[in-house]
Amino acid sequence: MTKYLLKRLLHGLLSLAVVVAIVMLLIYSFLEKDLIFAGDPNFSKLKHNSKDTYMYQQWEKYGYLDYVPYADYVQELLKAGEITQEEYSDIAKLGATAEKDSETAAPYIQKFIEKYEADGYQIERLPGKLKGKTKKYHEGGEPRLFAYKDIPLINRLVDYFGGLISVDDIDYVEQDIEDRGISFTLYDPAYGGEKFSPAIMGNGTKHKYLLYFDDQFPYIHQNLVKINLGTSYSVNRGIDVFDTMTTSQGSFVKSVVTYPSGVVEETADNIHSATYMAGSLEKGTAVTKQYYVDDYTVVTTHKNGLSRVGYSFVIGIISVILSYLLAIPLGTLMALKKDKFIDHLGTFYIVFILAVPSLAYIFMFKAIGGSMGLPTTFSVDDASWKMYVLPIISLSLPSVANLMKWLRRYIIDQMNSDYVKFARSGGLSEGEIFSKHILKNAMIPIVHGIPGSILGALVGAIITERVYVVPGAGNLLTNAINAYDNGVIVGVTLFYGLLSVVSIILGDLLMSMVDPRINFTAKRR
Amino acid sequence: MNEQKIDLQEFGMSDEELFAPVEHDFMDSEKITAPRYSYWQSVFRVFFRKKINIFVLSLLAVILIFTYVYPAVIGYDAEVDPYINLMNGEAKHLTPSAAMEMFGKNIHWILGSGAKGESTFDAIWYGSSISVTLALICAVINMVIGVVIGAVWGFSKKFDIFMIEVYNIVANVPYILLISVVVLIMSASFWSMVFALTVTGWLSIAYFIRTQVIIIRDREYNLASRCLGTPIWRIALKNILPFMTSVIVTLAATEIPSYISYEVFLSYIGMGLKDMSLGKLIESAQVAMVTPGWEIEFWAPVAIASIITVVLYVVGQNLGDASDPRTHM
Repeated sequence: MTKYLLKRLLHGLLSLAVVVAIVMLLIYSFLEKDLIFAGDPNFSKLKHNSKDTYMYQQWEKYGYLDYVPYADYVQELLKAGEITQEEYSDIAKLGATAEKDSETAAPYIQKFIEKYEADGYQIERLPGKLKGKTKKYHEGGEPRLFAYKDIPLINRLVDYFGGLISVDDIDYVEQDIEDRGISFTLYDPAYGGEKFSPAIMGNGTKHKYLLYFDDQFPYIHQNLVKINLGTSYSVNRGIDVFDTMTTSQGSFVKSVVTYPSGVVEETADNIHSATYMAGSLEKGTAVTKQYYVDDYTVVTTHKNGLSRVGYSFVIGIISVILSYLLAIPLGTLMALKKDKFIDHLGTFYIVFILAVPSLAYIFMFKAIGGSMGLPTTFSVDDASWKMYVLPIISLSLPSVANLMKWLRRYIIDQMNSDYVKFARSGGLSEGEIFSKHILKNAMIPIVHGIPGSILGALVGAIITERVYVVPGAGNLLTNAINAYDNGVIVGVTLFYGLLSVVSIILGDLLMSMVDPRINFTAKRR
Repeated sequence: MNEQKIDLQEFGMSDEELFAPVEHDFMDSEKITAPRYSYWQSVFRVFFRKKINIFVLSLLAVILIFTYVYPAVIGYDAEVDPYINLMNGEAKHLTPSAAMEMFGKNIHWILGSGAKGESTFDAIWYGSSISVTLALICAVINMVIGVVIGAVWGFSKKFDIFMIEVYNIVANVPYILLISVVVLIMSASFWSMVFALTVTGWLSIAYFIRTQVIIIRDREYNLASRCLGTPIWRIALKNILPFMTSVIVTLAATEIPSYISYEVFLSYIGMGLKDMSLGKLIESAQVAMVTPGWEIEFWAPVAIASIITVVLYVVGQNLGDASDPRTHM
């Protein structure tokens, strides 16, 4: 069985790789590259050549193409020792046009062009934009020379999956630092060094704390293995999709913290999230210098709200539980009272939910709930259990209709089958037949959907979250599409796909546990 | 019984003159004298037996008249003056009674006026003509492709292995992403929306049909038919397709309203059509929903969209029930 499940999982993951490839093809190859700058505030401020080079820099950053400016090439030559420090500035200086290059620079420029053209790069030379007849360039109008090459889909795919999971190691920091290594402590310095709280800390790693305990669920946290689904460009600038989905929101929560320098203060800073940034202590403000003793100064903050996935999951999971609790007895009742009033009433409700656009009945629930005095908008800072009521109702009532419809169908099909007639002729009571035979068999296909609906709660609901202003994960994909945020689109697609692959496998597993007749490993007869 | 006997001798004829031998006709001997059974006649007989069906069908007729005939008869054009009062500030956001007071009592103003001073009633029916047409075209394309491919998919085991992989992959590509990419490449016009909704939309229908075909394919009567040497295409057309008619009709009944709902949903999240379809109307009237006194601008298109989808759904479901031969007894 384990072998079979692993095979299924592997197969699913392979399909997912193709899905990611298709999505990449859609967004990187079919859509205009310029669209990503639509919501970029930096872009509109830039002028002349710097605008062009900024575009290429960003395209490289977001995986569209490989971009090599001439300056980088010269820098490399300097590092390799092919040119001296004295020659460097002369060689790096471009003339306003190709004809005006200095004699020292021209051969190197020629070499640069030849080298990259041979590798299949496109060479672009932007002439300098002079201010009138002076010898000064416009701001951002300096001449530029660079080479670029589109990244083939297959390389992009390999890079993406290669960088999906990163493990922190002590060679992360390129600069020279002392005491590179990993240390283990029983008394976490963030709590003053006296409270018993084991932690694994690194020096030379990206994160200072690799494993630690705190008072927040699930109490043990790690920074060793990170999932990188893709960097956001505009939705949550520069932040990875996985972090966008899982970091908490709302207003700051303060707690007493001992900073590395020994200063004890009440603050919202999460010392455990400290990451390395080269030279940050030296360049930092007086406050930074007061708190920190090394370059691990970049920290996140504690907030009172849940993460995006957190809100979606809380609302989703409660509505899943509620809908199963309601639908199973109601669907059973409909099947037992077939063609009676209760059945007609249920059918009417099912038709209403199935046929009416979901937008319409969610607004209806909102209007009804609002007139009953329930809060119709969600607020992270002013949290109360009441604001969860309407989103949960809006999510669970439609799924009740769907479950009811299928359960009724399955039970009626079972009631007409031969084994039920046989059981009845054998003298079993109706109650016994129903609970021991009919319900058990009718529940099997229903059980198959349970993992799917639980994992689906993580995804969130687009309309419900929009209507009630829930800061959940449901709108992440639509927001990303509207903002042309490619990194987020790919990341979210992979996340959704993974959930659906896993939930189908779990559904099959659960079904084979409920019904011993179902066996996936036995050979087909 | 008639006891009267005829004496053949009275005619004074020979036996050869009286009796002519009849040729034995093999075809005639195969004919069974049973009451004539016409499938579609029975379908409609069963369908109209229920009173409620006559009611919903006439409701559907009214809706279709308002959707297609009404805008054409009044010559509706969203940009032209009689249907829009852009300059007249007092004509905007009126309740039905206020609008009728201002413009006179006629059918245009029974739902009040909208943000541009236009008649909500006219705008809704014009919008629904776009939405219903979109739904019908998408449903026809998806159903035709889906049923044909699904039938082949169910029969061919080699094709099945290939198509299952395709299905697993395409089902995981977010639908919204696909639609928005198509819209971004091809502009948000009516036909690019049709393309977006049909480019992968047939796949789930084909999958559904495939499962149904596999269930029926290996039944005993088909096995027997195959043993007798019936070609596959004849089994598909004569043995399986009639079995599936009710399934297909029921499926179509859920598909058509679902495209209307989908169009509304897409407009709501800002990825819909440029034209003033029902979805676009609902989306642009969202502000009106939270403004006291203007609510009708929002609720009217929502209510009409709901009525259209429910009527289409009920008609389709009941037609699906009636097209199941087991109900023809």
